[in-house]
Amino acid sequence: MEMFGKRRVAVIGAGMTLFRRNLKETGKELCWEAAKMALDQAGLELKDIEAVVMGTAPDAFDGVHMKGEYLADGAGARKKPYMRVFVGGGTGVFTPIAGWWHVASGMFDTCLVVAEEKMSSCFPHPAYAFHTIFDPIMARPLGVTLIWIFALEMHRYMHVHGIKKEQIARVAVKNKQNALDHPCAQLPQKITVEDVLNSEVLCWPVQRLDISPTSDGAAVAVLAAEHVAKQLTDNPVWIDGVGWCIDSTYWTNRDLYYPKYVECAARMAYKMAGIKNPPKEIDVAEVYDPFDYKELHHMEGLMLCRKGEAPRLTEEGVTQRDGDLPINPSGGLLGVGNPIAAAGMMKVCEIFWQLRGEAGKRQVKKDARTGLAQAWGDLMQYGSVIIMRS
Amino acid sequence: MSREISTCPLRLRHYPGHLEPEYAYTLGIAGERFFREIKENARIMGAKCKKCGKIYVPPKLYCEECFEKLEEWVDVGTKGTVYTFTISFLDEHGEKLEKPEIYALIKFKGTYGGIVHRLGEVKPENVRIGMKVQAVFKPLTERKGTINDIAYFKPIME
Ligand SMILES: [Zn+2]
Repeated sequence: MEMFGKRRVAVIGAGMTLFRRNLKETGKELCWEAAKMALDQAGLELKDIEAVVMGTAPDAFDGVHMKGEYLADGAGARKKPYMRVFVGGGTGVFTPIAGWWHVASGMFDTCLVVAEEKMSSCFPHPAYAFHTIFDPIMARPLGVTLIWIFALEMHRYMHVHGIKKEQIARVAVKNKQNALDHPCAQLPQKITVEDVLNSEVLCWPVQRLDISPTSDGAAVAVLAAEHVAKQLTDNPVWIDGVGWCIDSTYWTNRDLYYPKYVECAARMAYKMAGIKNPPKEIDVAEVYDPFDYKELHHMEGLMLCRKGEAPRLTEEGVTQRDGDLPINPSGGLLGVGNPIAAAGMMKVCEIFWQLRGEAGKRQVKKDARTGLAQAWGDLMQYGSVIIMRS
Repeated sequence: MSREISTCPLRLRHYPGHLEPEYAYTLGIAGERFFREIKENARIMGAKCKKCGKIYVPPKLYCEECFEKLEEWVDVGTKGTVYTFTISFLDEHGEKLEKPEIYALIKFKGTYGGIVHRLGEVKPENVRIGMKVQAVFKPLTERKGTINDIAYFKPIME
């Protein structure tokens, strides 16, 4: 830590709402509910919070421009230093990174990190809200959809390593099964590889059960400087490494089979946390899984295994909760749900609960001391990584 | 083609009633030339960086790595290779398409980047990664200076 000349920062409380296709609560109410829960766990009141960082994805979902401003009161930001960060799907893990530097820099002793998404406002389906994220000249005139650009990436990944759909489907089976133990989960299910392979083909090779749902939800963490954290809890969880990176704006200019930007973000975080051998030193990881193949893709980008090796580890059960390298014990986006920014933040909350031994039925079998959360976003080229230690 | 936005306030007009917000996107400096070549000459051009040698397809005004201005334009031909593809059953509203559409990322030899487009004159089950394809342009009179001036790419023997 010394080489960065920054203060050590701890997570001391976390909270989240149910993740559902369509929740009655407004986005503000969701923020408040999760924030209240996180403050209660931290043993703090709103007046103890010195700054608030908000993470929320495209305004088009909620249908409110300047969503950061709109959500501010629910996030507890009234009359406090406040900012919104937004890096697409990477927002959920980037938001606590922004919260981290608020505290690590010495500017604030406490910071509330709030992530929210309410995708159900967009009718008839949030898919169309994605339309204006694409290049208006080269992509939109072709009728581009979000799913087909992922399908292009998934297909290239399968092609380069000779990966079969059955192998990828195991990720969906595992995560939806894990989600059965998550009290907030939207899509906990006991399904089989055959169910995935027989589900509706959307954009081959992507099928219905390869994808996470659209969701409403919020997730929140309370961050504190070391001296504050030590007064409040015997079990602080330290943020020991952070990293983020963006690759070329043009996805035609990237390899597609390997997420180099995730590797760059991971290297930054590992260096800061002093991690030399990620598969040995990371005890549990929440990697971004909006699609089942992305869990595998990201494990490789995070250097938790070699390129093309993630499907085999999954088949061998290494990534199960009782395996050597548990991946997405929460149930991930595939099982718990995908309210974009809140989904990434949920992963940070899960690592916090896992490292405190508070994950209940989701608790991984091994004694987890070091955990990782990662998200991915913008147009398939943004990586955000956080390393936490108990 | 790309710079029709008025900057003179005297020429602005006021319309009473309800107007849907619309956006008019400019093609950009490099884009305008790229689409002029497609529209007028049925040519696909790239732009070469004199510093690193990368040939950008589609062409850009600058190199994203060196940050140099790209001034050398090269004809990259109309033939490329399928780098990856998908068979889409849904339109952009999430509605079922009448018949599935094949979209591919097509790379051009010796260049950086590529073009995403439809494939035609081929059944979905016959498409392969690595397949050689060629651009099929709409007739000159139907071309408007958009990416859809290329109707699709079709497989070729090589
Ligand atoms: Zn260059």
